[in-house]
Amino acid sequence: MRKSDAGERPYIARLLHEKRVVVCCGAGGVGKTTTAAALGLAAATLGKRTLVLTIDPARRLAEAIGSPQTARAPVPVADTRLAAAGIRGTLATWMVDPRVVFERMVRRLTTDEAQAESILQNRIYRALADLVSGMQEYTAAEALYGFVESGEYDLVVLDTPPSRNALDFLEAPRKLSLFLDERIIGVFLPGSGGGGIFRSRARQIAHGVFSRIFGEGFFEELQQFLAAFSGMFTAMRSHAESVRTLLKSPASSFVVIASPEPAALAEAAHLEKTLTGAMQLPFSGFILNRSWAYTRGLLSPADLALPKDATPVDHAALAKLEQLASEELKLAERDRRLLASLRHPGAEAVATPQLDGDIDFAALLLIAESLVACPSEDALEQR
Amino acid sequence: MTIDALLARRLLLVTGKGGVGKTTISAALARAAAAKGKRVLAAEISYESPREDDEAGATLTSPLASALGLPPLGDEPRKVTQSLFAARLSPLAGHLQFLRDTLPVRLLADAAMRSAAVRRFFHAAPTLAELGILYRLLDLLKEPWDLVVCDLPATGHALALAQVPQALATVLRAGPIHAAAQEGLAVLRDPKRTTSVLVSLPDPLPVSEAVELYEGLHKLSIDCAMVVLNRVPPNPFTPEERAAIERMVVDRARTLGARRLPRIDRAAAANDRLARELRLPVRAVPELDDDVVARIAGGLGGGA
Repeated sequence: MRKSDAGERPYIARLLHEKRVVVCCGAGGVGKTTTAAALGLAAATLGKRTLVLTIDPARRLAEAIGSPQTARAPVPVADTRLAAAGIRGTLATWMVDPRVVFERMVRRLTTDEAQAESILQNRIYRALADLVSGMQEYTAAEALYGFVESGEYDLVVLDTPPSRNALDFLEAPRKLSLFLDERIIGVFLPGSGGGGIFRSRARQIAHGVFSRIFGEGFFEELQQFLAAFSGMFTAMRSHAESVRTLLKSPASSFVVIASPEPAALAEAAHLEKTLTGAMQLPFSGFILNRSWAYTRGLLSPADLALPKDATPVDHAALAKLEQLASEELKLAERDRRLLASLRHPGAEAVATPQLDGDIDFAALLLIAESLVACPSEDALEQR
Repeated sequence: MTIDALLARRLLLVTGKGGVGKTTISAALARAAAAKGKRVLAAEISYESPREDDEAGATLTSPLASALGLPPLGDEPRKVTQSLFAARLSPLAGHLQFLRDTLPVRLLADAAMRSAAVRRFFHAAPTLAELGILYRLLDLLKEPWDLVVCDLPATGHALALAQVPQALATVLRAGPIHAAAQEGLAVLRDPKRTTSVLVSLPDPLPVSEAVELYEGLHKLSIDCAMVVLNRVPPNPFTPEERAAIERMVVDRARTLGARRLPRIDRAAAANDRLARELRLPVRAVPELDDDVVARIAGGLGGGA
């Protein structure tokens, strides 16, 4: 359909040049983390100082990009490794660790060491921070904002958490600011906020409900926790708002990753609708992963040389391989149609090839190349 | 383990890495049980609540409903066939039920849920969403279902969900939440009543995650009965034919058809690894027809 005109940069290269934040969304299992890493590598190739924030990379992927799983701060990919691949920019990766992000936030927003410690040692804080659920979402957005603000990177690529609702993390800052709303906190903290008959009525109901459900002791502990936290609430809330503002700004771009499976494609359509609809976020387009669309320059089984003393087994094997080849061509056809159908005004699309074997640095480079090269339909096709 | 033995449980928890086909397998298991004459409830977990500007819930995703060919599911079980019903497990329904069970007067529970503060607290506080979902599940298990098939979220979230009763029972030493958490633990940890089904694709990453998931569930004392290996590509070659192919193909990555061979090998390796490391029965489900893709793609094209 739409080919990139000469002189105009292909879609992904344009994003990597112009944006400060690229967010990768998509259903689980479509290769989001791999794509985020490849996007980071592509940006570094364009000379950018790049950071890739991943949530839960598989161990071997972490090895491929040189990111230990337990680091407390971003780990740069070795210069020698980048130089060997002719890459001018820099690339660092970090696997978001909710506990580290939270601790950092508490220390930054508290006024003194004693207050920080009293929060970090609070039993409720520790129980909350230990439960992974929800925390990944809160902290991914928080970490992203911190790194963008630091000015150390030209571009931050975020791999969104592997949750069923891939956009949870966008709601997390909003949820946090709702939770931190002083009208709610006021209900739990005696003596905080103004009076008013509604406020005291609400406090009565909440106190009654919570004491009954959690037990009197827990309610006291919750109050202590909230009292210790309350000094930070205003700062945390304005922070959460800033994250939303950043993600909605033209400096950010959302890319939806899909693979050619029905569930992943349905999820991709849903994500686009959510991003561009109610959330009004800057959506750019799709990346169709693991596609068979690239068939240019491949040999056909008919080109293979049968041995001179070919046996019936050889002939049978070759016939079966030809069957697989014809299935593969159908898949290639399907994926090229898919790619074309993903494109529409307001959405671009690019495909990355099926790679076999382990995802190592070389494989990531191949994916990075295919992302920025954005070959036209003719270039994908055979012959 | 036969499918019959599996379906003899009261609660099946279906989980695995994202994108492996958990929902499809959940729907298939529920349909299989219903076909055997059982009264079955298929349930999906939905953390989402309708957006404030969308009372009807039209923006919610409901993958299980799609798999069963239904419009988005509600909190109350909906009849699909004579013996198959489907519902969503949402935190909100669980919270309301919990308050009704806990507070002496139903009016007070409803008033509490109408209180923006209480509602928002339940919505925003981590773990309380999970508790609401579990509470709703326990509540549904009190109804006369022969089998409840629960489509869990992907690995990390599934483990977090399963971990919640234990965490809550530890943090809260008494009171109704403690009691509900204990009740939840008793149901989840009874292998006669509850077991889990791990879904995986025949690729190294999902298989590794299935192994991790198995270990995680084991730590939480949740039984695991079966692994379903989904989308297994057929292997058309006899060992002799395969050897012949290896002699003829020089550049595998550049030969049409031969690019499919590594997938076939990975599927065999996945099967072996799962059977060896988990000592569980592995059931292979073949790759199905791709026609659906084309139709969805058509929908995507018009989805501006």
